[in-house]
Amino acid sequence: MIAAAAAVQRPPDARLLVVDARRRIGHAPRAAFVEFLRRGDLVVANDAATLPASLRGVHAATGARVEVRLAGRPSLGPEDVGRFSAVVFGEGDFRTRTEDRPAPPPLAAGDQLILGPLHATVGGLLAHPRLVSLLFSGTPDEVWAGLAQHGRPIQYAHVPAPLALWDVWTRIAGPPVAFEPPSAGFALDWRTLAAMRGRGAEFATVTHAAGISSTGDEELDRLLPFDEPYVIPEATALAVRRARARGGRVVAVGTSVVRALEHAAAGDGQVRAGEGLATQLIGAGVRLRVVDAILSGTHEPGTSHYELLRAFLDDATLRRASAELDARGYRTHEFGDSVLIERVRR
Amino acid sequence: MTIPSDSTLHDSAGRGRETGGADPLKGARVAVTGGTSGLGLALVRELLGRGARVAFVARTRERVGRVARDERGAHGIVGDVSSKDDIYPVAVQVVGELGGLDVLINNASDLGPVPLQMLSDTECEDFERAFSTNVTGPFRLTKALMGALAASAREGRGAVVLNITSDAAVNPYPGWGAYGASKAALHQLSRIWGEEHAADGVRFLSLDPGDMDTPMHAAAVPDADPTTLKRPEDAAVELADAIARALPSRAARGASRATVSELGGVTR
Repeated sequence: MIAAAAAVQRPPDARLLVVDARRRIGHAPRAAFVEFLRRGDLVVANDAATLPASLRGVHAATGARVEVRLAGRPSLGPEDVGRFSAVVFGEGDFRTRTEDRPAPPPLAAGDQLILGPLHATVGGLLAHPRLVSLLFSGTPDEVWAGLAQHGRPIQYAHVPAPLALWDVWTRIAGPPVAFEPPSAGFALDWRTLAAMRGRGAEFATVTHAAGISSTGDEELDRLLPFDEPYVIPEATALAVRRARARGGRVVAVGTSVVRALEHAAAGDGQVRAGEGLATQLIGAGVRLRVVDAILSGTHEPGTSHYELLRAFLDDATLRRASAELDARGYRTHEFGDSVLIERVRR
Repeated sequence: MTIPSDSTLHDSAGRGRETGGADPLKGARVAVTGGTSGLGLALVRELLGRGARVAFVARTRERVGRVARDERGAHGIVGDVSSKDDIYPVAVQVVGELGGLDVLINNASDLGPVPLQMLSDTECEDFERAFSTNVTGPFRLTKALMGALAASAREGRGAVVLNITSDAAVNPYPGWGAYGASKAALHQLSRIWGEEHAADGVRFLSLDPGDMDTPMHAAAVPDADPTTLKRPEDAAVELADAIARALPSRAARGASRATVSELGGVTR
């Protein structure tokens, strides 16, 4: 596949590869997504806005320049913004591929990081020399202000121009809790939501702190995705029950929605409202209890996103879909084309 | 020149609704722009007094700090709504600090040239600044916050955008060209937005608070007798009432929760 290099959320020529419940593969303009919905379906998207989670600064003890990429948070409470887990890079920025970025100076508990107006203390290392817990100084409002003023969206070298927040916030973006954009939602705009209503499909949201997709470090990447907090509104839990009751399909927009809904239904198969921490890995052999179909970006084999698709489809069909994406020049990454995959009925 | 104090230009929502029982503003998450003086400050105080959780935005760091200290619980945010680069940082802080957003009040306004000028004497820069603050700023901020507002509506909390307008938007008062034209644009923006997002449950109000004893009015009409002017505190009560009428009653919110609980499978 080709890396989508322009930060355009809805390019007019965006494409959609569709795999239906009978494993048939088709192609459509992505703008025609709603035509695949049926009366009674429920579309669930992640309404997390993207935090400006890349913070430039200095490791106080050595004076070394670092880039901190916030990567996790224990909860989504607005006051609970002092503690993060973070991946630390050495000097440089997104223009260098993450794989080629120098390591930060050796980090230890108690180290101070000066990140623009923000001051953070390293709480300790988390299973890897570049993965740390951080404690920010100041009141919650001061931390929010510091992040808003100094932070930049996390970015990768395949998009050469610096990203602004408006490039990475979906149209439906609400609470700024995602570390990278829940980019499957780039496909949605207000007109699309109105069209869904017109077809008799419902729309609901979860808020899921989508984490970072890649660190450039194989060992660290194997730990992805990190545990991700989420909130399921009561209205969404109720909408899932309604959709089930009328025989409608639950269509998740993005892997983070699958992760949140399936985690929230881990008990008895009913989606529970409230806050949770998605800790499970979804992949081949995992039985999906809630989600019937997924609208997602195109993902390459080996990534955690691709692994999640294996819960929807057998490997042979997934391989066929991947071959189609390659053969037809689909674009990948967050500003790329999309796939709509319906789970094979068992 | 007089501006009728009780004219209501447009109220696309809330007619005939009774708030009934507890104030829907209690616990509501509200953002107010231009919150450190005049009507904006009065709104911050009124909303806090009614139990709302309030974030306010203003340009001057020192004044934001002072109001945040004086008004217990208010979240102060430094930002200029007329500046494109400030909009998303403001949105991050509003929704981050409040955890969501139920009500947005676009109150920050720019008078245009001071002293007031005939349109043909108005510098283009003054005209553009009035439109940046009074039209483009509210457009950008509302657009950036629409996701949070629509989420509140889906969750049964209701969602309201109140745009502060003026009767100068409909009456051709000489000297009020930049301000009046910009407020007319804001008013029409409210009406169209209201139509487009009615199905999403986001309501738009465009209300004229009347001639008030505020720094802006003093700049526009320096020789006005303040005793003939409305107190901003009184206008704030009326506007808060209008917002409350446009929000679902707390009883209705409670009822929708009960319905969910009765279905089971839902934890609080």
